[in-house]
Amino acid sequence: MQNFDVPAPPPPNVSHPGVVVTDITDKFASAVKTLSPGELVKDDHFTLFESVSALEIMDPKMDSGVLSEGESLDEEYDVSRLLLPEEILGIIDQLLCLEMAWHLGYPLSQTLLTSVYVESLMNPRPTSIDEANFTRDPEICEKQPVLLFVLRAYCLGMLKSCYLVNQLVKDELYYEEEDFVTNTYDRTLLNDIPEASIIGLLQKARSDLRAAGNVSKDISAALDLRLELRIAFMRAIDLSTLRQANPDSLKMPWIQMRGLMEHIEKNHALGKSVPEAFSTKLQRRLASTMPPRPIVQLSFEECYGHFRRLFQDGIEVTDVLKYSEPQSLLTFVSTFQAKKPQPLVFIRTLLQSLLFKEMVVLGSYSIRQILDHDLSLTVLPCSPQIDPANDNIEVPSDPRHQTAAQMEIFRQRVAESYLDIFRIFCQNRCRVRRTLCHSIQEWDMLQADVEEIDNLLQINLDEKPLHTERGEIGYALPLSSWAYLYKLRQMEWIVQLGFELEVYQPDELAGMYWYLNYLAKTRAQHGDRIKMFNARSLDMARNRANHRHPATPNSSNNGGKKTAATATLSAAQEREFAQSKSYIRATMLDAACTWEFADGLCCLYTALGRVGLVGPSSSSYRNDLLRYEIRTKPFAAIGLPQRPAFDAFARATDQPDTSVPELLRYAAGAVAGARKGYEALAKTPDAQAFCVGAHERWVGGVRDCLRAAIAAGVAVSTLQGAYEKALDGAAVGGGGEGEGEGRKIEDSELDVKLKMEIPPPGKGYHDWWVVPKLTPLP
Amino acid sequence: MEAARATQLPGELRYIQYEHALEETYLPAIRALISKDLSEPYSIYVYRYFLYQWAHLCYMALNPADNSLIGVIICKLEHHASHSPPTYRGYIAMLAVSSAYRGHGIATALVKMAIDAMAERNADEIVLETEETNLPAMRLYERLGFLRSKKLHRYYLNGNSAYRLVLLLKSSAGSDVNRQPT
Ligand SMILES: CC(C)(COP(=O)(O)OP(=O)(O)OC[C@H]1O[C@@H](n2cnc3c(N)ncnc32)[C@H](O)[C@@H]1OP(=O)(O)O)[C@@H](O)C(=O)NCCC(=O)NCCS
Repeated sequence: MQNFDVPAPPPPNVSHPGVVVTDITDKFASAVKTLSPGELVKDDHFTLFESVSALEIMDPKMDSGVLSEGESLDEEYDVSRLLLPEEILGIIDQLLCLEMAWHLGYPLSQTLLTSVYVESLMNPRPTSIDEANFTRDPEICEKQPVLLFVLRAYCLGMLKSCYLVNQLVKDELYYEEEDFVTNTYDRTLLNDIPEASIIGLLQKARSDLRAAGNVSKDISAALDLRLELRIAFMRAIDLSTLRQANPDSLKMPWIQMRGLMEHIEKNHALGKSVPEAFSTKLQRRLASTMPPRPIVQLSFEECYGHFRRLFQDGIEVTDVLKYSEPQSLLTFVSTFQAKKPQPLVFIRTLLQSLLFKEMVVLGSYSIRQILDHDLSLTVLPCSPQIDPANDNIEVPSDPRHQTAAQMEIFRQRVAESYLDIFRIFCQNRCRVRRTLCHSIQEWDMLQADVEEIDNLLQINLDEKPLHTERGEIGYALPLSSWAYLYKLRQMEWIVQLGFELEVYQPDELAGMYWYLNYLAKTRAQHGDRIKMFNARSLDMARNRANHRHPATPNSSNNGGKKTAATATLSAAQEREFAQSKSYIRATMLDAACTWEFADGLCCLYTALGRVGLVGPSSSSYRNDLLRYEIRTKPFAAIGLPQRPAFDAFARATDQPDTSVPELLRYAAGAVAGARKGYEALAKTPDAQAFCVGAHERWVGGVRDCLRAAIAAGVAVSTLQGAYEKALDGAAVGGGGEGEGEGRKIEDSELDVKLKMEIPPPGKGYHDWWVVPKLTPLP
Repeated sequence: MEAARATQLPGELRYIQYEHALEETYLPAIRALISKDLSEPYSIYVYRYFLYQWAHLCYMALNPADNSLIGVIICKLEHHASHSPPTYRGYIAMLAVSSAYRGHGIATALVKMAIDAMAERNADEIVLETEETNLPAMRLYERLGFLRSKKLHRYYLNGNSAYRLVLLLKSSAGSDVNRQPT
């Protein structure tokens, strides 16, 4: 047998002053022999991450250099080859699809950077608009196919738009790879080339195209639409930085693009695709170790659908600048982000930049203005605590000076967390839920901190505890009370997003609706408390005003009887009190709907569990106490409201002493109550529902809740009927003989002859209300 | 490609724990079985990373006729300190059953063996991620008592989201779910 052992090469001759060379070849060779293949010598720093990043040479899915038989390493497509006008159109539409795939979260390497034309524009890196051409050789340039200038202008506009989008995204909160890939693999996306010169080139291309006689009119028009789209796209992004402008003017390019897209879709069929103009091989030239991965191919219909939504969302998003008050703003953001499908990352980051940039909210307001507006709307209407006049008092011993100072400490403490609520809503839905779980910990601490400020201020403002017929209620603690309101809402959102994201299994629904009910009820009670204090503030303000300007100056002839004291509060003050009153009413109505509906569904699912339609999985590993612990983990450390003890939770959910008919009677009442509540909400005008600027989306959501409540009512009565029938059947069939009272029939023995389906998210009326569909079985 | 489904198992399967001496015999089959359902392959180091350190948490189901591999589960067990309080966390990294033998409880048996082994080593909890579209896997784990703790947006390279599933084995330190509200 041939000996394959090659004699070892001589060791390299290293001679360098100060370096002592030791030949370890033999030691290494013998050490290696003590290991069997696959045995690892692993130090603690070699983590799972390292092992996942390791590459296997010669595995085509890991080694970017592996070529299959006869495959060439590099792409050989010639960008100066002849192209028909319809092929240029085809390439542009293919680029549109790839651009959209990038917006959807796929990397540039698998989308736009697979275009041979894009690659030739970007590599080597162009430093001027003239260099940004498919070939840099002027002689070849001369001989370029006639309409290639259209493709060039289109590509430059597209790449610059991608650059602008990328910058926008990077400046805001988003999650790399999860939401979006900003990596450009060392391609600069034309950041050196000014937008104006690219727009100029696009405009010139449009006029040259019109002048070119030898192109069919249809194709020429189709190409022109696409060039126009590129101009509008850059313009839309450019305008959005003018946050102080009239929102309706920011909308114009978006409206234009929506219109263009309709036409583009119609003449897409004129194009002829050129698949060879795209290649995964180009990925080998990018700054990445990844072997080439497939091109992400959207169909043109999908691409069109996404663009249409993108432009529609772009039109809507600018309305956020039409500020009326903070609660409507929050409604705007939360309903906008709850749209299905959720707006793309581009729009979500655009919204963030409109909301808050360079310490300015919505382009025009200070954080303080928004915060104080929020306080006046919720817990401090017309309060001396937020009176801007306090700022002018310079005497340190003056309580007003101290109030101003304490309020500034308050604002510093809460500003970031407050703005975060808006930012959190701009994330993907999974992140919204996860981030809220962290945010409530912060708000829990924040509540405790600002309560200390409340304590100082109540001395400063000489506040007295409130006494009502219910006894002593205590101090108003407005700042803590405000923080608590936000914390409660976030806790409800966490649970509701759990339903939306299908985090809960069917056998958890009863418990989670019970918990939601508990939170909403707590919010309603809290609203009630705020209401009492606000009413007292109103009384006190009226008395003060009355005192300053006695109602009837020469009152000798009316026996000292006061006329309505209200007349002495200014109209603006009256309005401020009325607004906060309607806000509290709105939040209490919303909380009441949530609590009733949640209560009803809890009872319904508990009843379904009794008759065996929702079965807990039985496994030796299942432990309900530990499951409760996982489920309520985000709430475990929250001081207020405290997580209920497991026993209390289990008892409240299972309701062992309540029979199925009672549970269902109760569910019917609660669901009907929710229905009435939603009907009332749906009729509330936007200013009183605090959805100014977002009324259509908001009322759409309320109507969906209403439909869900109606469906829940149907499910309850279906089960009621089926249960009675099953009971009758069992009594007839299994009735004891002559022994009078038969043995008690257990619910689990009954066959209600129903099929239950739980609609997945997106298939029911509202994702926060999981209503089972019950259909009778033959 | 869906292989023909075996209506019956080839007799009583052999369940064995992996050990390093079996690498040559079984690692290629393990890789082949697991890569079948993966869009991106794992390098051999990923397998060795787990198998070398936690061979005792890897179980295989073998065909009694020829000892060929039918199913496998691969796990790890480590202290997890990125959030407080730190936990001793088991992680199910990979699980697969050859498609011809699915639906006979093989994966269930493998998962149970892994849970038992980790519980015996004092694990506090066991976690894993699974693709939101992988209903068979989700049903299997949830039947055993796992809960979805969160959803992870576009967790996989193919753009699919995932659920994190958790089975708590012990009450976490400091958590007193039964404290009475004061
Ligand atoms: C997920 C996977 C591991 C399940 O393997 P499996 O061996 O078919 O799983 P099981 O047989 O234990 O359970 C599957 C079903 O068979 C049923 N079953 C259990 N024991 C059974 C038995 N003795 N006889 C017949 N059916 C049985 C189970 O009840 C279960 O039913 P369900 O689908 O209604 O829940 C397998 O589909 C697979 O390899 N998929 C690809 C890889 C993968 O997704 N891995 C998981 C990544 S986390």
